[in-house]
Amino acid sequence: MHDYLLPFGPQHPALIEPVHIKLRVDGETIVGSELVLGYNHKGIEKSFESRWWAKGVYLSQRVCGICGAYHTSCYCQGIESLMGIEIPDRAKYIRVLISELERIHSHMLALGIVAWEIGLDTLFHYIFRDRELVMDLQELLTGNRVHFAMNVIGGTRRDVNLEQTRKIEGSLEKLEERFRYYMNIFKNDASVRNRIKHVGHLSKKKAKELNPVGPNIRASGIDFDVRETGYLAYKDLKFKAVTGEGGDVLERCLVRWRECSESVRMIHEALLTLPKSEIALNVPPVIKIKEGLETVSRVEAPRGELIYYMKSGGDKPYRVKIRTPTYQTFHILDEIIRGYGIPDVPTILASIDPCFSCTDRMTVVDVNTRKEKIVTKHDILHMKEDREG
Amino acid sequence: MFEMLFQALVFPGFLAAFVIGFLYLGIMRKVAAHMQHRIGPPIWQPFLDFFKLLSKENIQTKDSVGFLLTLCPIISFASVLTVIIFVPVAGFGMVSFQGSVFVVIYFLVMSSAFLALAGFATGNPFGSVGSIREITQLVSYEFPFVVSLITIGYLTGFEIIPYFSLHFPFAFLAFLTGVLGKLSLPPFHIPEAEQEIVAGPLTEYSGPRLAMFELARAIGFWVLISIGAVFFLGAGNIVMFAVNSLALLFVLIISRVVFARLRISNAFRLYWFIIGPLAVIDLVRALVGFY
Repeated sequence: MHDYLLPFGPQHPALIEPVHIKLRVDGETIVGSELVLGYNHKGIEKSFESRWWAKGVYLSQRVCGICGAYHTSCYCQGIESLMGIEIPDRAKYIRVLISELERIHSHMLALGIVAWEIGLDTLFHYIFRDRELVMDLQELLTGNRVHFAMNVIGGTRRDVNLEQTRKIEGSLEKLEERFRYYMNIFKNDASVRNRIKHVGHLSKKKAKELNPVGPNIRASGIDFDVRETGYLAYKDLKFKAVTGEGGDVLERCLVRWRECSESVRMIHEALLTLPKSEIALNVPPVIKIKEGLETVSRVEAPRGELIYYMKSGGDKPYRVKIRTPTYQTFHILDEIIRGYGIPDVPTILASIDPCFSCTDRMTVVDVNTRKEKIVTKHDILHMKEDREG
Repeated sequence: MFEMLFQALVFPGFLAAFVIGFLYLGIMRKVAAHMQHRIGPPIWQPFLDFFKLLSKENIQTKDSVGFLLTLCPIISFASVLTVIIFVPVAGFGMVSFQGSVFVVIYFLVMSSAFLALAGFATGNPFGSVGSIREITQLVSYEFPFVVSLITIGYLTGFEIIPYFSLHFPFAFLAFLTGVLGKLSLPPFHIPEAEQEIVAGPLTEYSGPRLAMFELARAIGFWVLISIGAVFFLGAGNIVMFAVNSLALLFVLIISRVVFARLRISNAFRLYWFIIGPLAVIDLVRALVGFY
């Protein structure tokens, strides 16, 4: 039997975002794959350049619907380092609190989708039901379930009071019990394990070569977590990175569950040791930064290391470059998908927890020849001249 | 004559199959939804879906084979509906003769085979993969399913009559898993795996043709559950029949809720190397009279 091309996306029930994977299939075995991006270009990086620094916070929130708090946190952190200011201790703790809550809900979303991809709707509904507990906490703290715009330059927008603390503690206790329950199901339920164990294997050696980020590399046994550098308040909270062995889909899921537990522990700790101070510095609405200053800001988003590179152009950025975690991760897809069957494709894809909407960049395709090409800044200027000329 | 016509068209024939089949589907969706902590659609939702589909247009793609697209749903639906005349539902037997078990087996295979053919006829890669899976699954579950029917058939003269067969537990198990496979229910919802191959053979189907397949599936529920209730659980009257049918439906719902999807290779191995041999044990027991 000769191999044939099976299109996976851009419209497919297993995908939550438009992306196109060309699968070369021999019978039911995958012999090769090619990822085609370019369905979701938003042009956010360019938009930064036409806005004041402070307005960029709202823009960075909109890079991603699931991990927006990390984007604002990373962006604000960059500006603060450009301005040379340090935010109050309490603001650091509140940023960690929000980040970790968002990490829990992001991981639960990813794991629920893994459960759905293996055809077990019940587990999916259970996980999403329990995810509501976190969503409610986020609403309680920030006023919004998603896009909560909690970070501002120089601190945070809202404070945490005692009543909220008590409610958070109560919900987290329930959650922690549920995490143990789900971890047990993923590890021990025969029909679940059958689908996710020994699937999508990424060895330690290959992981070092390809270098994905986040739970995907930690599940292969490599300890890489930006939180270990101790930015914000992670140093005081005694954060320890979670790693796993094996690097298959099951291990990636288990690493995420264990990270959820670690997050719960850190939130408990943060609430106990919340320092008393103001929550934000007084920063003027129009910020002026010396032209040409540049910085790199890193945080650990749920999907891995998130990097903002910023160069100042006065009261606006000259350039903001975002490297989202999925950008660093999606090229492992071909490696971990090859040799497995069609049934494993959605599971493997869900297990790396891709977020294509944050990652997607523009692709230029010649309509007549169907060829993709790289366009430089020079070409674009040329195009403009051609049209005008 | 009139009685015969009534039985064929109203009960247990077409009308009952239509109403109760869709009702089974509705109950399944509602109960499964409550087990999954959600509200779920109303019980009559499958009827609404069916009539909505009838009012839609038939869309035919460029690569498809036109007459097969129309023929397959009709034959698939007709063959599964025909089975009911050999099953004495709640004591209403229409046609009964020695060897009717084999006719039932053939008609049920025909229904699945034409579903697979329909997938190939659409010329869609997802349809082709779905059809390959449908046929692989047919080859897998047919062995234990047929063995279980023959086991009980040997004792009843290969005629479908009420028979209580729980002293053949493996035959009953083989029958139940066969039903799960035939109806593509979890853990055997492999040919229609939404996350992998969209809707399998039915990917390109729309409108009345899709409605026909939906109807065939609903009637498949009615027929297979009725066979289980009569032939394996011995329902002779209408009360026993209702109780047995609902019990069987509940078993199917439980299976739908607790299992993840198997791979096609897992399913093949499970049917041929575990359930098949177990069913053969019961067949041998029936043949030597050890029960």
